[in-house]
Amino acid sequence: MSEVIVITSGKGGVGKSTTTANLGVGLAMRGKKVVLIDTDTGLRNLDLLLGLENRIMYDLVDVIEGRVEIKKALVRHKKYENLQLLPTSQVKDKSAVNPADLMALCDELRKEYDYVLIDCPAGIEQGFQTAIAGADTAIVVTMPEVSAVRDADKIIGELGRSEKDNIKLIINRIRPAMVDSGEMMDMDDINDILAIKCIGQVPDDIKVVTSANRGEPVVGDSDSQAGRAYANIVGRIMGEDIPFMKFEKQGFFDKLKKAFGM
Amino acid sequence: MNRDLVTIKGGNDGFRILVDSSATMEEIEAEIKKKLETNPGFFPKGTKFELEVADLDRSVKKGIDELLQEHGFGINKSTKKDKRAFPADNAASSKNVQPEANPVQEMMVLNRTIRGGEEISSQSSILICGNVNPGAQVIAGGSIDIRGTCRGMVHAGAWGDANAVIIADRLMPTQIRIANMIARSPDTMEKSDFAERAFIRDGQIVIEPIER
Ligand SMILES: Nc1ncnc2c1ncn2[C@@H]1O[C@H](COP(=O)(O)OP(=O)(O)OP(=O)(O)O)[C@@H](O)[C@H]1O
Ligand SMILES: [Mg+2]
Repeated sequence: MSEVIVITSGKGGVGKSTTTANLGVGLAMRGKKVVLIDTDTGLRNLDLLLGLENRIMYDLVDVIEGRVEIKKALVRHKKYENLQLLPTSQVKDKSAVNPADLMALCDELRKEYDYVLIDCPAGIEQGFQTAIAGADTAIVVTMPEVSAVRDADKIIGELGRSEKDNIKLIINRIRPAMVDSGEMMDMDDINDILAIKCIGQVPDDIKVVTSANRGEPVVGDSDSQAGRAYANIVGRIMGEDIPFMKFEKQGFFDKLKKAFGM
Repeated sequence: MNRDLVTIKGGNDGFRILVDSSATMEEIEAEIKKKLETNPGFFPKGTKFELEVADLDRSVKKGIDELLQEHGFGINKSTKKDKRAFPADNAASSKNVQPEANPVQEMMVLNRTIRGGEEISSQSSILICGNVNPGAQVIAGGSIDIRGTCRGMVHAGAWGDANAVIIADRLMPTQIRIANMIARSPDTMEKSDFAERAFIRDGQIVIEPIER
């Protein structure tokens, strides 16, 4: 059984593309056949996060407009053979793709892949409606701050009106120390407001940025807390029951200092 | 106080305008205008009203239609009264209309989360089994009962019923309105652990804990 999952958020910059890249690599590491579709004609794109920029020949619009077969437009990941990317166009208009096109494309890809992940643009305009059209499941990414949670709430309402009822939540960029001091919303409050199933809590971690710059999503790095959090989400998507991890509030060195009585 | 010459009622199947047959056209016009303009944005654009017309003049009917159209509304031409929807009105519509004596007794029930940007309104009372989130609005002619956390804006007795109350398992709204009174939340709000009820006492909105 294959699953089409759209990753969306409402507010921009909360980590949709980061999440898509990490879940894609994570699922591929677990042996799944995965294709990622980038529907956001933005600046920071999936191909960069995956280190595939220089291999792009064709894009989503070429496929939709029938200039090239899907197979030819897909870019294979360097390291994970069963991970493919369908890049977005950097030049063409977003309105070149409509919901029916994307739905048909997803149904085509379903036949060959275990997971189709769609990276959605921010906002609730046409690009959003197109991105969600073919999805079975929506993952809403938010951050522990008031405006991001409000936008997530609106997006969830919008998904409901589009009859997308299978909605999951990922809370990204958590800073445990700030949550503890009351400067960041705590997880219980967010879950109470959004009232959808939470499948991931990802800490703010500098390794997310440094690994993205190398084109190697952090999910492969078990030394990173965020990497482990993404790996857990991958497991939950595959139906495993994994408890949420406790974040280390102090840095490693603070702990060492304590241990040595410094 | 004078009985209303014009009453606007709402139910699940839309709004109805009830007009006292003793009123003159000028009075009717003034009343409808006042009602539409004191609640701007309450009636969705394009709303079709049903007109209780039994003993109204044709010219008056036409006047009301024109007035509604000026405001971007219209009259539902295929006026067919659904008596089941308004059981309390059967007596009223056969005699002179006396809506106050026959308040609409329905209750709107919603079993879900009311999310930011959503606006729920009903002329009746509203029961919500779920949370009312920040940025959501709930407006009721009667009372509002929330079996969940209220973080949005709630307005009970929106058409003047000062006896309306607002109840929530956790009452932490941005604003509470009852009839024509407004209470703003304190800038820092602690979480309440018990259900609370807001109502008007001595010309002021008060909130007190209740058991349920
Ligand atoms: N858990 C994290 N810890 C630290 N930095 C993060 C984390 N998640 C995302 N970021 C950083 O936040 C920035 C925005 O992330 P990303 O591009 O994934 O967001 P987006 O939702 O796709 O944005 P857009 O709406 O512009 O498409 C990036 O610089 C990314 O590296
Ligand atoms: Mg993005």
